Amino acid sequence: MRVSLNWLKDFVDLEMSVDDLGEVLTMAGLEVESREPLGGSLQDVVAGKIVSVRSHPSSEKALFLCDVDSGHGIFQVVCGAPNVEVGMVAPIALPGATLPGGLKVKESRIRGEMSVGMLLAEDEMGLTDDHMGLMVLPADLAPGASVVDALCLDDSAFEIAITPNRADCASVIGIAREIAALTGQSLRRPHIRFKEGDRPINSLTSVTINDPGGCPRYAAGMVLGVELKPSPFWIRYRLFISGIRAISNVVDVTNYVLLELGQPLHAFDYDRLVENRIVVRRAKKGESFTTLDGKTHSLNSENLLICDAQRAVALAGIMGGLNSEIYQGSKNVLVESAFFDPVTIRRGSKALGISTEASYRFERGIDIEGVVAALKRSLMLMSDLAGGEVVNGIIDNYPSPHHRPLIEFSADKTNRFLGTTLSGGTMARYLSALGMEVEREDENTFQVKPPAFRVDITRDWDLMEEIARLEGYQRIPVTFPPIRASEELDPPEIFLGDKVRALMVEMGFAEVISYSFISPECADRLQTPKESPVRSFVGLLNPLTVEQSVMRTTLIPGLMAALGTNFAYGEKDLKCFEWGRLFLAQGGEQLPGEKYAFAAVMSGLAIRKTWHSEERPVDFYDIKGALEGFLDGLGLSSCAFKRGQTPPWYRPQAAALVTLKGIVLGTVGELAKEVVKSFDLDETRVFAFELDGSLLLDHAFPETFFKPLAKFPAAIRDVSLVVGKDVECDGIQKIIEREGGELLESVSLFDLYEGGKIGPAEKALAFRICYRSKETTLEGRDINVLHERIIGKLGKETGARLRES
Amino acid sequence: MMDGILDLQKKALEELDTIHDRNGLETFRIAYLGKKGLVTTWMKKLSALAPERRPEAGRLANQVKMNVTRCYEEAKERIALQKEKVESFLDVTLPGRRFARGSVHPITKVTQEICRIFVKMGFRIVEGPEVEWDYYNFEALNIPKDHPARDMQDTFYVSDNVVLRTHTSPMEVRVMESQTPPVRIIAPGKVYRRDSDVTHTPMFHQVEGLLVDKGISFSDLKGTLTSFVHQMFGYETALRFRPSFFPFTEPSAEVDIRCVICKGKGCRTCSNTGWLEILGSGMNDPAIYKFVGYDPEVYSGFAFGMGIERVAMLKYGIDDIQLFYKNDMRFLRQF
Repeated sequence: MRVSLNWLKDFVDLEMSVDDLGEVLTMAGLEVESREPLGGSLQDVVAGKIVSVRSHPSSEKALFLCDVDSGHGIFQVVCGAPNVEVGMVAPIALPGATLPGGLKVKESRIRGEMSVGMLLAEDEMGLTDDHMGLMVLPADLAPGASVVDALCLDDSAFEIAITPNRADCASVIGIAREIAALTGQSLRRPHIRFKEGDRPINSLTSVTINDPGGCPRYAAGMVLGVELKPSPFWIRYRLFISGIRAISNVVDVTNYVLLELGQPLHAFDYDRLVENRIVVRRAKKGESFTTLDGKTHSLNSENLLICDAQRAVALAGIMGGLNSEIYQGSKNVLVESAFFDPVTIRRGSKALGISTEASYRFERGIDIEGVVAALKRSLMLMSDLAGGEVVNGIIDNYPSPHHRPLIEFSADKTNRFLGTTLSGGTMARYLSALGMEVEREDENTFQVKPPAFRVDITRDWDLMEEIARLEGYQRIPVTFPPIRASEELDPPEIFLGDKVRALMVEMGFAEVISYSFISPECADRLQTPKESPVRSFVGLLNPLTVEQSVMRTTLIPGLMAALGTNFAYGEKDLKCFEWGRLFLAQGGEQLPGEKYAFAAVMSGLAIRKTWHSEERPVDFYDIKGALEGFLDGLGLSSCAFKRGQTPPWYRPQAAALVTLKGIVLGTVGELAKEVVKSFDLDETRVFAFELDGSLLLDHAFPETFFKPLAKFPAAIRDVSLVVGKDVECDGIQKIIEREGGELLESVSLFDLYEGGKIGPAEKALAFRICYRSKETTLEGRDINVLHERIIGKLGKETGARLRES
Repeated sequence: MMDGILDLQKKALEELDTIHDRNGLETFRIAYLGKKGLVTTWMKKLSALAPERRPEAGRLANQVKMNVTRCYEEAKERIALQKEKVESFLDVTLPGRRFARGSVHPITKVTQEICRIFVKMGFRIVEGPEVEWDYYNFEALNIPKDHPARDMQDTFYVSDNVVLRTHTSPMEVRVMESQTPPVRIIAPGKVYRRDSDVTHTPMFHQVEGLLVDKGISFSDLKGTLTSFVHQMFGYETALRFRPSFFPFTEPSAEVDIRCVICKGKGCRTCSNTGWLEILGSGMNDPAIYKFVGYDPEVYSGFAFGMGIERVAMLKYGIDDIQLFYKNDMRFLRQF
């Protein structure tokens, strides 16, 4: 809410600087978001009396040459305002002045005529949005008098954030009341006094409430014979500062009182109400209604309506209707001041998508006991500004008056809860300052009745918060809760996640974090078939864009996007990974499945050109090597890589399943060309793996047992075999291990050779086999027998033959 | 004649000192010690001397020849050494064969740091679903369907009663539902709000904390969070507690720290207030105890939550929240 400081001063004396006031409000929970001096830049604007007016000789537009007495001499000013006339007193900015918005006033020639300074309209001074003509100052204002002083413009605007619980502060009086309580000042209530005519209101209208739940109180008053015209400057100025457009005196009064007292009001044209009476009821389903902004809405029973004898005339608490609004010819006005049920107004306003100053306040809860005072304040202002006669009495339909809660309050409990040592007297003083009725049973126990406008206070905890606020949070001591030992372990996901990151960072990968939502089209880019689980998306009902409309079922799209970001500025040698959740639709009445996944990608060069190495592009064995290194870090070096049902986004020739004891932990491979292309990464080879986080959780970190160190020497034998190209290395190793039995300690591939003397469908694999016995030193003869047998088996099972040297 | 040989020696030794390479040395050898060299030639002249002068002159000449030869050998050694030194020079400033390191995302780094601080204070880390029941995200946190407090957060809906969690606060309810006090948990994770502009991303990260025990007071909340701010931002960092509103805490407090950019003088980052909002917190509202069956007359406690992006931005001086999710290596490699 934006309010003028001078308006606040109508109700409370401020004996502190503007800075200090901002601090006091902020530290009491009314956060001052910004503060802006008003009128400050008008120091150089003075009253100017227009001595003569002539037509501008060389302008087809209506321009005038005015001689203006500025108090410092008479100057000629060129002016286009239609209302300029001799004898008028208007604000003038002399050369050298800077206007709000930064315009510097200079002596200048306008169409050949000198213009010394500028006569001003209200909007040019930033006071209102009025640009109809020059601002008219009081005729008795001496030329040269300061406009700031004359109009009391030495003012500031405060933008205050009102939290949803403090509905009572959505008004000038509410904030003033808070300032009074915080500073120990007393609050001045607005002046309400007016003359009533003889005609009793009951002879002119009636109010019927058919839905007392939705409308617990409805008060109405009337002014007859009003004259519609613009409001005086001071009203328009205050409305403007608070962001409300001035319309006419009658309507402006309702808005002025809304801002001042927080009570939304509505002015009806009495003569346009059929049978001149008011009925409050729920809308019927499908009923349509046109609000005063000209929009037609289809209603349902959520909406509360204000009607006349025949038809709806306003959306209760939200907006008036086109059919009954005040217009230039309105003569007689019926003013509504009501309390509507917050939930009803909120639902209605949400359903129609209309939020207004009125609905904002009703939703949060207004002061039900302030309904009549606000009505009377508006009747007074209306008769002051628009003339006319206030009719005798008001209608106040209030079937079951509000009961304020009575709260039992304990000072001891409050001190324990806050960690303070305040006396009962201090607490009682704080509560009274906030308008609570406090009845002290003894030093410790009070009965407290909060005022009706404090809709947020119903329990003793609510009162404790008020005590803390008035004492000041800064003055509450600083203590520590006792430390308790905990036996509980942190979740394994956290532990594993940190381990994953540490391992990948060691291997040179950068962690990325992608949005959890992706485009459903990603499933197409990944070439997944219709029934693929990748497509069982959890969708959002109200996504921001289609690109972020479903929850991810794989981490690959996010990583591809990360590659794209970096490709865009020319960085193509990339290694990155992500550890995050996937979301899987479950159907039925349950939350989607969420499980961690882990994926990494590599692209570009594995090794860049340096002074010691030649460059080399990434290939399958780089990503596989990273994955092996990673698995080893989790104690899963026994994982195997197998051909099988790998996802469609891989190039089938270069993809494998990662398995552990027959369980598929994930997949690894080179992404298919078309897939890479569909993510706008042309001409690039991308290698990736993705693992199931929950399976990793199940199997990672197997228990470790120590193996005794070898006591006897090993015998090393190398063997070079020629096999068909399609014979897998792993199969050969398995045979060697199987045949080697107890005596085989390890076998490793140390060379791969293709071409040359080796046929095009063949390759040569060289293995180093390490034999060792746990009991004895092996004899060369024994090893040779075993070694020959292994070679024999390999020949039989795989067609391998020894490579001729 | 005798003087002549001594002059020759002097000249030879001086010349040797100016020689720094093998070629020069060879030229020298030939010039002085070679078959037609100056020293050799001079010795040949000895025979022309009178016989009685020969022995002395011969001794002297031999002496000179030995001296020049020795100095020549020394120079040879000196030059060889020098050559060896240059040829085997190791440039220790050449870049090493590096093991490339990767990088941890700054959000992860800050999350780990925050968790570490609270774990030390006895808090246990918990995690929960990101796609959450409306009940846990709102209802059980005292934010009923038709409450204006719902306007505080723009929500992504999956269905009428399932949302992407808008904060990590649902973990408070989930934990309290599953255990009796004492409770001390910290819950990091992703959260989502339907908001995307220069200062908002639709996904971001929070850490939630909750403590419930007997006799916990508002002053304990102040102590715990003061200690956190000091550990996270340094002991000299000033902070303040300011009343605010959250539907599930009462009293509620916003925690501000002295602006890390301007140190309180007022700048763009702190909107000229000199303070930066860093944490939301408050005493648990008894209304939420009703949902989980805790007795508010026996137990009290506090909760707090903070945005990790915000902490990371302040800690590292990052001025654009969008950078966290662009995954630009030039950004990521800095952490």
